[in-house]
Amino acid sequence: MTPNRHGSAVVEFPSELAIVTTREFDAPLELVFDVLTKPEHVRNWFAPFSDQVTTCDIDLRVGGSYHIVFVTPDGKECSFRGTYSEVEPPTRTVATWLFEGWPDAEAVETTELRETDGVTTLTMTMVFRDEAGRAHMGKSDGQQSSFDHMEDYLKSLVEETVSA
Amino acid sequence: MARSSTTSDVFNAVAEARRREVLDALIGGEKAVGAIVDDLSMTQPQVSKHLRVLSEVGLVSCRAEGRRRLYRLEPAHLRPLQDWMAKYEQALNERLDRMDDYLKELQEGEPQ
Repeated sequence: MTPNRHGSAVVEFPSELAIVTTREFDAPLELVFDVLTKPEHVRNWFAPFSDQVTTCDIDLRVGGSYHIVFVTPDGKECSFRGTYSEVEPPTRTVATWLFEGWPDAEAVETTELRETDGVTTLTMTMVFRDEAGRAHMGKSDGQQSSFDHMEDYLKSLVEETVSA
Repeated sequence: MARSSTTSDVFNAVAEARRREVLDALIGGEKAVGAIVDDLSMTQPQVSKHLRVLSEVGLVSCRAEGRRRLYRLEPAHLRPLQDWMAKYEQALNERLDRMDDYLKELQEGEPQ
């Protein structure tokens, strides 16, 4: 009945330091909020299936912290932490975001939900503190990188030039 | 120190807004430095400096025509950017797809 939305997340780079992801879900807003913020839910979807969530603490209040750790099959730990600065159930949270592998890559993540006709739209905006932090987002594949206007850039340059 | 990393790969080369302007100026085709200077509000030394960085990472190539040096875009070298974008989008999509599946399971298990 409901459409298959797999692969439908839209990722945009609206400014030098921001990454915005938008995704729709066929579920009521309150449920999507719970699935995003309650540990008993988060541990069921946050990590890839082959990975094990070993820590999932979420203290959902202003000044409260979260800490999520999962372990890959080859034993690598991925640890995320942050502190909430805004909590407005069931529509909005703002929290710092720190991936322990990249200590200087601190970001502020704003999560917003809105529901229209039973479809809930999730918008996640990550704003990095500085370019060094944002550059880290590409280091997972060993590359030093920075992603300013990358999407617009690729659209204008690659599509027009290569395929024209 | 920052200087050496600037020239090390495509990601850093395009991180600088002025260098993207130089690349944009070449979208229409091959140009001499002077023509790029005319297109952009930059001095010739600035443009030459950016062209040198872009050349080092392969994003532009240069050929001599008489006394002029003509620069052209090498879009194939943007591949690492495209690959990274695709990878990032894929990882995010996979996570949100898992959340989607989980939401479906929850809703099927708890009829309203």
